[in-house]
Amino acid sequence: MHAKFTPGRAAMSPWRFRAAPSRPGALYLLCWFAGSVLIAFLVIPLIALALTQTWSSLAAIARMTDVRDAIMLSIEGAFLSALCAALVGVPLAYALARTAFPGKGVIAALIDLPLAVPHTVAGIALLMVFGRQGTFGQPLQSIGLKFWGTIAGIVVAMLFVSAPYTVNAARIGFEAVDPRLEKVARSLGLGPWRTFFRITLPLARRSIMTGITLTYARSISEFGAVIILAYYPMTAPVKIYELFLRFGLEQSAAAAVLLLIVSLSLFVLLRTLAQRGGQPQESR
Amino acid sequence: MSVGASIEALALSLGAFRLKEIDFAVSSGEIAVILGPNGAGKSVTLEAIAGFHRPESGRVLIGGRDVTAFPPERRRVGFVFQNFGLFPHLNVAQNVAIAQRRDGPVAGAKYAPPSGDPAALLDYFGIAHLAQRSPSDLSPGEKQRVALARALAAAPDLFLFDEPFSALDAETHEQLREELKAYLRALAIPTIFVSHDRSDALTLADKVIVLRGGAVIQSGPAAEVFQKPANSFIARVVGVENVLSGRVMETSKDFLTVTVGDQVVRAVSPASATPSDGSVLLGIRAEDVEIDPVHTAPPRKAGTNRLPGRIAQLRRAGPLVGVTVDCGLRLTAYLLGSQVRKMNLENGSPVVVEIKPEAIHVMSD
Repeated sequence: MHAKFTPGRAAMSPWRFRAAPSRPGALYLLCWFAGSVLIAFLVIPLIALALTQTWSSLAAIARMTDVRDAIMLSIEGAFLSALCAALVGVPLAYALARTAFPGKGVIAALIDLPLAVPHTVAGIALLMVFGRQGTFGQPLQSIGLKFWGTIAGIVVAMLFVSAPYTVNAARIGFEAVDPRLEKVARSLGLGPWRTFFRITLPLARRSIMTGITLTYARSISEFGAVIILAYYPMTAPVKIYELFLRFGLEQSAAAAVLLLIVSLSLFVLLRTLAQRGGQPQESR
Repeated sequence: MSVGASIEALALSLGAFRLKEIDFAVSSGEIAVILGPNGAGKSVTLEAIAGFHRPESGRVLIGGRDVTAFPPERRRVGFVFQNFGLFPHLNVAQNVAIAQRRDGPVAGAKYAPPSGDPAALLDYFGIAHLAQRSPSDLSPGEKQRVALARALAAAPDLFLFDEPFSALDAETHEQLREELKAYLRALAIPTIFVSHDRSDALTLADKVIVLRGGAVIQSGPAAEVFQKPANSFIARVVGVENVLSGRVMETSKDFLTVTVGDQVVRAVSPASATPSDGSVLLGIRAEDVEIDPVHTAPPRKAGTNRLPGRIAQLRRAGPLVGVTVDCGLRLTAYLLGSQVRKMNLENGSPVVVEIKPEAIHVMSD
């Protein structure tokens, strides 16, 4: 008689079943707690910096031609650096993703090298090669390409420290494309080039765009290598450093916030564009 | 000009793996199934036919053309992989439209659908309403039809399938296999189908090629390979349930007398000579093993092997029951569940096993 009511009682206390430990709730909670410390650490200084400024102080600094020029130069330099990284980095990434050869690990490590080199060191090394007496600097000068006092020097410095992001992200993207899809395309009559441009590249597009965006972001924020290789013309970080030395914290903070606003908006825009388009998940 | 495809003494090395002089042919409208365990070289063979591996020697002829030196895009093969390999960034119509219609006459095969027209192909396969769908929204059956439509759009002279069903559940697998068979029969395009699943061969194959260690160890009409596997390895690949080792006692014109365990059986003499030491392997399909309860055993038919024994194991296999009988040697047969109940069989029940001499296939190794 009693057993007859058992199902009913179970139905009457569903919360006891819902609390079944199928989800590691405590673990997630702990992870989020730890993570929020990091998020706060990343965001609070930037907000604190932004809060030091008023619209009028920002407007005042934005009216300074040299500050505006510096920011524009930074954007141009970073754009060219990202473009160069895409032109040479994406092919390299594809080669690394699709070919196997002895020493591949060494090449992969070489690509990561700039991430481990202090940027002032990178600047000095680049100066040796692209400076007036440099291996490339001297002969290229004869065809009118100078790396000192020009945007070319800025781009070289930016590219050196930021190219790894494009190569690594694109490589991961290419590796995620099932080689069998390329084989199907070949069997359907598409040659290797068509297969690459119509199948492989579109499928790896998101990863590639993410890499290029990171390269762009890293380029616009570069200071150490740029200041050694090309102090003039001044990019925004160099300009802010100069303002800090000459006029102190207040002036430099205003320029810093202006750069922050411009570069963050561009970064968010690029990231959105990179992730846009309803590309389906990678093939299985 | 011959239609179909032939692979002639194809050899290649891939790292430590070697493909040794692969030889077989598939004619128009025929389905050849390549069977073999993992690592036997099935996929490598298929990819070499498609042009993804450069052979060291040998030739590949497709649709009467020697394509050995051709890159994959000029070989006119329709390649279908596991999960059907649809391009995930293109919708169904784009998947079919991306195929490059090859110029020149299509050798032999009569295509029912107009192979160059994507819209007509979608119609033919009944998937026109899916044209704008993304492959990720399709059922396995719809994916298969898109894959076939896409392959046909490039006017192939040969279909290649590399385990297209291996990721599917058993029911879908069977269903899609039947559907594929119907399409392949209608299209009459020669087909090479790689599988490690002998049920694929049983359903689809006109011809079976068994690979082991990069070499063809048997090829021939499906019925022949299934009925007369050349050795015990192939017998296991094609699913012969009973493989027993014995010794030849006596040889007459038509029959061999063989001792197996403590029993003596008569088998039809094989076409090839048996080893001089008399040791042989006997292959007996479960379907050829008959089980009778002792008291209802019919009178002896001339020449039939009758072996008394006891039920050693009963095991459910779908609607059937796998029955293992210990009669000095262990034999497996299948009975319907209802038969098992009617005969009152249980572990230890005495039974008589009957096997016709012609059902015993003698192999030398």
